[in-house]
Amino acid sequence: MRRLLLALAAGLVCAAGAHAQGPRIEPPGGILPAPSLGGSTDSSAPPSVPNESATPELIVDLSRARVSITSAFQGESILMFGMFDPPGEVVVVVVGPEARETVMRKQRVFGLWLNTGRQSFDDVPAYYAIAASQPLQRLLARGTGGEILSLEDRMSTVKPVGSRAAAELARFRGGLLEVKRREGLYPAAIGQVTVQAGRLFRVDLPFPSRLPEGVYEVKAYLLRDGKIVAAVSRPLPVGKVGFSAQLAGWASHDGALYGLGAIVMALFAGWLGGAIMRRL
Amino acid sequence: MEIYLPIAEQSMNVFVLLGLGAAAGLLAGMFGVGGGFLATPLLIFVGIPPAVAVASQANQVVANSVSSLQVHWRRGNVDLRMGMVLLLGGMFGSSAGVWLFTYLKSIGQIDFVIAVLYVIMLSTIGLLMLVESLSTYVKRRRNPGAPRGKLHTHYLVHRLPLKLRFYKSKLYISALLPVGLGFLIGILSAILGVGGGFVLVPAMIYLLGMPTAVVIGTSNFQILFVAANVTFLQATTNGTVDVVLALLLILGGVVGAPIGSRLAAKLPGVVLRGLMSVLILAVAVELLTELLRTPSSLFSLGIREVQP
Repeated sequence: MRRLLLALAAGLVCAAGAHAQGPRIEPPGGILPAPSLGGSTDSSAPPSVPNESATPELIVDLSRARVSITSAFQGESILMFGMFDPPGEVVVVVVGPEARETVMRKQRVFGLWLNTGRQSFDDVPAYYAIAASQPLQRLLARGTGGEILSLEDRMSTVKPVGSRAAAELARFRGGLLEVKRREGLYPAAIGQVTVQAGRLFRVDLPFPSRLPEGVYEVKAYLLRDGKIVAAVSRPLPVGKVGFSAQLAGWASHDGALYGLGAIVMALFAGWLGGAIMRRL
Repeated sequence: MEIYLPIAEQSMNVFVLLGLGAAAGLLAGMFGVGGGFLATPLLIFVGIPPAVAVASQANQVVANSVSSLQVHWRRGNVDLRMGMVLLLGGMFGSSAGVWLFTYLKSIGQIDFVIAVLYVIMLSTIGLLMLVESLSTYVKRRRNPGAPRGKLHTHYLVHRLPLKLRFYKSKLYISALLPVGLGFLIGILSAILGVGGGFVLVPAMIYLLGMPTAVVIGTSNFQILFVAANVTFLQATTNGTVDVVLALLLILGGVVGAPIGSRLAAKLPGVVLRGLMSVLILAVAVELLTELLRTPSSLFSLGIREVQP
């Protein structure tokens, strides 16, 4: 009971901090497991503990505000860095936009391998990465109220479309994880969050060249005794820019014009090529 | 040097793509057929999604056939009437082909169908060419200057209705034959991203009985419009035409084609055809082993969709 009260107090301090420090900090009141709040308070209630510290407990920033897919894009590594009030552990989660993914499974038919089974899942994040300043399993084992999910736990929440036997679903789910890992979209070895001087932390977030577009969310959590005491969220837009953005936009919005453009380009290039070839 | 392909949505080495285009151009220069039937499988080998490879290759074929057509048009080697009749079938065929392509893509079988069709087509052509060049080689050694055999038979061609006179080809045959041929080539073109010259040219010579002089020019005429139709339809229905990819292939081709035609002038035809057949068979074998070998992963992903 004593620990519970302590956690509650910490949460309220942080909530007060959040109100004082502007939009970067999410009030952790909503993040704390409901039972520990006991329903007696909510995060908008006036703090019962004096607001002593003017600095927030967790500050983060990204080395780049967005991932720009240009003509020279080969994947990118973005640095997330920040500072926290010790003691505590930092967990960083990056989630790409959610969509429906269809997994296809090959089977041998008359000696040839072809897709025979398919299963769609909803709420599949385009990208998912999680890193922590301590081995993740140890941190998450203490329970964070289901707010922070390991990749495996996150995968178990994707919703299958239609019905299928549980064992089969598990296989397709495993297949989804396998393909996403292979494409570098669920990087398994994102590495640890490294901490310096007890309060500075940094982590590299790797993004592969085949990266779905959309607004990604980068979240950092500060954990103490297995409880979230602060959380910061930053949007990270991922999109094509410049020439490749124009082409892709053109192709998707006006396929007919794009198709005609492609034909004219080929006609001209072919004619020019032919003319040059004859001169040689 | 890497370049990001906006439709394939991945980065790829520029020189690999230019080299592929050059290899296709080399073949085009050597044999007078577009190198699409080798370029598309090679694009798939280097990791371009088959749907994008096929559609972008069709775009490259437009360029290839226009530069080739220029020469033949000037020499008056195009039977316009035959070309139009072939094109009639070709337009329907390629439209049906793109529709089939879209359907196969939606059920997740397009990659398999592309691979199987390529294996069948490449192994047939490769074997035929190999046998032909070997037997010619043997015959010439034994009996140099032997007369060539009869080029075509007439029995089938003359029985069908709707006969048309093709002056330039010196033919009086049923229009159904070239229309049907154009239709089949159109389907092939749409699904495999090839011009289809390597099938069309022998068919025009042996099946329709056209004089060799006008065959290449006329086939180029039909291929140009069919490839343009495929490019347009792929762009509007599947959005899989990557112009950056196509442009790199075209640029490579411009470099490769003159080298090919110079090589062709130096090497005897039998040797050329022999080499080409070995190359074609090698690609067919590689594609077949991909189909037969237990894949490293049984799973793959379809298209990402917005959730309903």
